[in-house]
Amino acid sequence: MGTMAHEPAPCTIKSPVVLQVGDVRTELGRPGVAVIDVMLPHSQTIDLQEIAFKNYYTAFLSLRVLRQSTTDSGDENPSKWITCLRNYCLMPNPHTEEGSQDYFSVSRHQMLCDMDRVAAIRLILRQPSPVWLHFSIEELQLFPGGQKSPQKGFPAWLSCPSQEQPASLHDGLPDAHKASSEVQQMWVLTEMLQADQPAARIGRFDVDGCYDLNLLSYT
Amino acid sequence: MGGPSTKMAASPSPSAKMADSEKRRPSPAIEPTRPAVLINCASEAEDAFLLQAGVSDMVRGALLKVLEARPEEPVDFLAGYFNRLMQSSAEATVDGGDPQRQLHWRLDRALWYLRLAHHSHSRIAFNNNVSMAYDSLSTGGRRKRLGVNGKLYSELLKMTLQGRGATEEMVAPLLHKITCQDHEAVPCDVFRYGVLTCLVLLEFLAKASTLYDALDGGSGTADERVCLAVLSTLEEALHASDASSPIRYLEAGSKLGPDCLALAMDKALAERKATVAMKKEEFLKKASAIFVAKVKPVG
Repeated sequence: MGTMAHEPAPCTIKSPVVLQVGDVRTELGRPGVAVIDVMLPHSQTIDLQEIAFKNYYTAFLSLRVLRQSTTDSGDENPSKWITCLRNYCLMPNPHTEEGSQDYFSVSRHQMLCDMDRVAAIRLILRQPSPVWLHFSIEELQLFPGGQKSPQKGFPAWLSCPSQEQPASLHDGLPDAHKASSEVQQMWVLTEMLQADQPAARIGRFDVDGCYDLNLLSYT
Repeated sequence: MGGPSTKMAASPSPSAKMADSEKRRPSPAIEPTRPAVLINCASEAEDAFLLQAGVSDMVRGALLKVLEARPEEPVDFLAGYFNRLMQSSAEATVDGGDPQRQLHWRLDRALWYLRLAHHSHSRIAFNNNVSMAYDSLSTGGRRKRLGVNGKLYSELLKMTLQGRGATEEMVAPLLHKITCQDHEAVPCDVFRYGVLTCLVLLEFLAKASTLYDALDGGSGTADERVCLAVLSTLEEALHASDASSPIRYLEAGSKLGPDCLALAMDKALAERKATVAMKKEEFLKKASAIFVAKVKPVG
């Protein structure tokens, strides 16, 4: 979760609007859908890298984004709402607790569409089970892209630790395991000595066997 | 051993002894229990004798050394230890006035201390022995604390490296880095570092020798290309030092793993060059150069 080190983008999260058939006050059945709109300040857009949140009894999440069109032709090419996540499952079984209060993070590659120049986000929460009194999501954070993904910075030896040996190794090749174990021990010995430096000093004033006269007269 | 004399050794004071023997003599009733008393007394007497002769202390010291060093062959270790004690006591009595011999004897003893415990088995034991060696070198002569001068220290380092399979060519660059001028006073810490460096070099060379045997595949001579590839891999692993230490260790571990090493060797063999054998001495020399390059000079 290297992206978590980024600062989340500032945004305004509106309060959830529940959708219900009939009159909210008189209807006995509980609402199964809630919508949360997230606006960016000052009509900014961001290149969304990842969104993170904590679930609160939401079973499925859909995500729609308002993307500014690619061309800069103003009103003629209006921004469009695009669904970028459809019924993403947060609780495997809506009637049971599993996943109900977990932290989730959905990143760019899991989305159905490109996440550049996003102006607004709408989260559609669904909870088909009537067991829960209330459902929502909390601690919503939007992480902008643009920063270099830390995964690109991994050295080769770490990203492919089990390098495959080529099938056709030379015939006369010595035993690599045995050689490796000896070389590693030689490495350890050298490293160990480097870590074991003396704290005391002899206190030499000479440079390459010669003394600086000025230094000697002052000490 | 007669009855009265054993009693004398065993009893705490002459008056107690008197009381004891007087009590016993006129009473033949306790005669049957006498053998048991005798055995008891005899064992007590032996204890006292051992204590008097310093054997208990010697054995305790020896056992402590065994515990400290935990040698592979404790019996051999003990035999060597006692042998050494005998030698040194003999030398101590005959040293007379010859300062040269005395010096040699002190160096010899210091070296023996240093070799008692392996530096990586138990660092505490090793450090103990180092300070024993340092003390034994510094308490020579008439004055009490002479300290160790550069001459003595350098001499000891040379002796440490002598006759252990390291040639002059391998040893000289290392000694150049860690020896001191004859007149310099050597602090214990520098002394320890110098000695440790020498011992580690010897071990490093032993490993390099085993490595060469692994590389030659039983034929007695190893291919120069393979040898150089392995050594340069080692050098690379040692030089990858700009990262913080845990990352550096992981990287080195990956570089020196069997897979990467096999690839490096394979690449070297794939080069279109004539097959030239590399002698073992040559290999060891190159390996020791890698080690010595990493040793920080004292100063």
